Amino acid sequence: MTDWSIAELDSWDSKICEVAANFGLNWFNIDYEIIDYHEMLSAMSYTGLPTHYRHWSFGKAYERSHTLYNAGATGLPYEMIINSNPSISYLMAENQMYIHILTMAHCVGHSDFFKNNRMFANTSPELIIPKFKAAARYVKELIEDPSVGIEEVETIIDACHSIKYQIPRYPGIKRLSHDRLKQLYAERILDDKSGQYDDFNLDKVPLERDYNVMAFISEHGRNLNEWQRNLVSIVEESSHYFVPQALTKIMNEGWAVLMHEKIVKELNLPDKYHIPFVKLHNQVVRAQLGQVNPYHLGYRMFKKIEECHGFEACLLAREVHNDITFLRSYLDEEMCHDLNLFSFSYKKSKDHISVDETSDNEGWEKVRDSLIKTVGLNSIPVIYVEEMQKDHTLVLRHEHDGRDLDMRYAKKVFEYIQELWGDEVKLFTVLEGDLWEF
Amino acid sequence: MSTFREHKSIVDRSAADRVRHKKKIEKAIKESIKDVIADESIIGQNGKKKIRIPVKGIKEYRFVYGNNEKNQRVGAAGKHNIRRGQKINQKRVQKGHSAGPGNEDGEEKYDVEITLEELAEYLFADLELPELEKKRFRYLSADGLRQKGYRLEGIRPRLSKKETLKRKIRRKKKAIAAGIRDSDSNERFPFHKDDLKYHYMKPKPKKSTAAVVFFLMDVSGSMTTEKKYIARSYFFLLYQFLRHKYDKIEVVFVSHTVHAKRVTEDEFFKRISVGGTMMSSALETEIEVISKEYHPDSWNIYTFYAGDGENWADDNEKTINLLNALKDNNQMVVYAEINERRTHPEEEGAVLDWTNPSFVAWENENPESIWTLCVPLVDNRFKRVLLTKAAQIWPVFKKIFGAKE
Repeated sequence: MTDWSIAELDSWDSKICEVAANFGLNWFNIDYEIIDYHEMLSAMSYTGLPTHYRHWSFGKAYERSHTLYNAGATGLPYEMIINSNPSISYLMAENQMYIHILTMAHCVGHSDFFKNNRMFANTSPELIIPKFKAAARYVKELIEDPSVGIEEVETIIDACHSIKYQIPRYPGIKRLSHDRLKQLYAERILDDKSGQYDDFNLDKVPLERDYNVMAFISEHGRNLNEWQRNLVSIVEESSHYFVPQALTKIMNEGWAVLMHEKIVKELNLPDKYHIPFVKLHNQVVRAQLGQVNPYHLGYRMFKKIEECHGFEACLLAREVHNDITFLRSYLDEEMCHDLNLFSFSYKKSKDHISVDETSDNEGWEKVRDSLIKTVGLNSIPVIYVEEMQKDHTLVLRHEHDGRDLDMRYAKKVFEYIQELWGDEVKLFTVLEGDLWEF
Repeated sequence: MSTFREHKSIVDRSAADRVRHKKKIEKAIKESIKDVIADESIIGQNGKKKIRIPVKGIKEYRFVYGNNEKNQRVGAAGKHNIRRGQKINQKRVQKGHSAGPGNEDGEEKYDVEITLEELAEYLFADLELPELEKKRFRYLSADGLRQKGYRLEGIRPRLSKKETLKRKIRRKKKAIAAGIRDSDSNERFPFHKDDLKYHYMKPKPKKSTAAVVFFLMDVSGSMTTEKKYIARSYFFLLYQFLRHKYDKIEVVFVSHTVHAKRVTEDEFFKRISVGGTMMSSALETEIEVISKEYHPDSWNIYTFYAGDGENWADDNEKTINLLNALKDNNQMVVYAEINERRTHPEEEGAVLDWTNPSFVAWENENPESIWTLCVPLVDNRFKRVLLTKAAQIWPVFKKIFGAKE
């Protein structure tokens, strides 16, 4: 069934690499793993990571993709690549040569993005695989430890997963321990001549809003034993890996699509590859009615930058932006109008979804702003640690931006946090304009 | 330069997590089943009827925004005309939404749909009919295998071409519907490994044990709606259990007031009558049916009686004698009293053990009741149980069949 060999992959790869280098791309070496469809499903369920700690939710993800794929409702991704050094990518053995060519060219684009985009600057790609490996081993040992066992481990991981995105949204900044922060503030107060720190209370915990709920719990929670604390840290550290990806989904995909298109153009593919390639490419960048396809949007935006400002400008944009700043800078009225973007919401009183704004002269900025509010991590509510009171009551607050929480979900997560914290927990939010305490 | 490595893994890395996930689902189903039992809709329904069981505990909760006017999302309309205030078909927006962090939640549906038969399977998994002695077998069946449904794994000769093709066609149609494939495309849509379906061959037992089950019920006026409901649930479970466990099983329904009547299953569960209560009439009918149709040498006989314990006093002695006679040729006789006025011993903190004859906390109140009079009969072949509400059916059930908690 397959129409390729490793030797052919190798030879196409050399051509791809040469062309990509000529475009000025600079990427990590890529290790391609050739796997079958079941392994592809597995890899997908573990978000592509070759090692990951065990948890039933990944089993659930597997079953879900398996069901979807078998129902024909979805194709498997042709590409999946890990931000490691070297980059790890997967080629599905069942795929045909032209798909492999597209995948490889696409992966070079991603790897180049990982290596150059500012959001990934402090992600230590060399350490990602060893880190996940160590975490996986630790969790495995706990599961096998008769005094701990899988139930206990799951209790902690389940709870942590409920707040795994409650971490700072700017990647690569190291969190300071409370003691270190206190020291810094003490120095600042000493040096303070303006008087702005006169009323500063050094005994407060935390000294400033802590957006890293898991790290805070792991640092200050007094009801966790050592392995529980370590587990919380493991989930917390793993979460950071996904932050830069979530912040650049549109750009990253758009860039990879743009690059695979440009690279493949230079390869002068024979017709037997070229025709299906074009078809597949069109599928990838297909606009999906009622949704925003990040491949499509990102590609169209980069395409436009190239038209208006040249490829150099694209290279620069892929370096300095994230999705939020990218959309703000380059998603203009014309583009919104071309894509026919619109915003919509659920109307409770009428029990239906209806269009709020369309991309005409008056509406496009609102549509753009709504889009920015929902890309990547912006679709996840921000919760921060406001205070730990003397009796160890943990006070959390939702940074309300006009959007109310889904209370059914919030209540469950609140229970998880209570479980982890062990002492009293308070959570404040705003519901329909009024302050709400859990 | 990149490197290529053919990865031949022997280990299925997600296997353990999948098993874990499955266990969670099954556990959740089992937990929900108790609620479903108390739900009236299962009674008297066809075994193929689908039941939605809400599965709790496997949903992954996170902080998410509520679905309301403030939470605006954005979509592309392509070439379609779109205007403010236009209503949108909900399905179109949600279909195939991307799986990025944050937007994957909220729409997860974790109601599992199972058939009544499957429900029974979960329910009775850990129950066994007791004392099914090896007797002469009425049913002799041909040796060997017989086809029973399909499986995803099997050997080549048992490949079901029809089922396999059906799966492929289904996958293709879905692919077209999802927009992954053009409907007019001539491109091959190859079979996939996962399309393959095989006939499942089940070894046919050479001999199967035969059992007949008598369901006796008091349908007189003193049976209130609530009592009837409990009785129906209780019988329904017994019935499903037996149907599930034994292919060759016959069920006889006898309802009675002062007279007994052999009825169909449907009539049994639906029939409402008025009149007094003479339990012996039902027992006599049973004995008559047994003597004509089910010789105890060939059949394992089970008798399950349900009533509210109100019997004409004149009839008590006769009833006890008949129960005693039945006990001799039955594998088991269970007398169930459905009486919501009585306090359930469990609620008083007492040990739930009806088989213990010395448990007399409340039976002294009426020394002339069947409940009290049948005490001397109680042993492992004769059981009496009390049901005061639907929620007790399950523990009572376990008790009767001696399953371990």
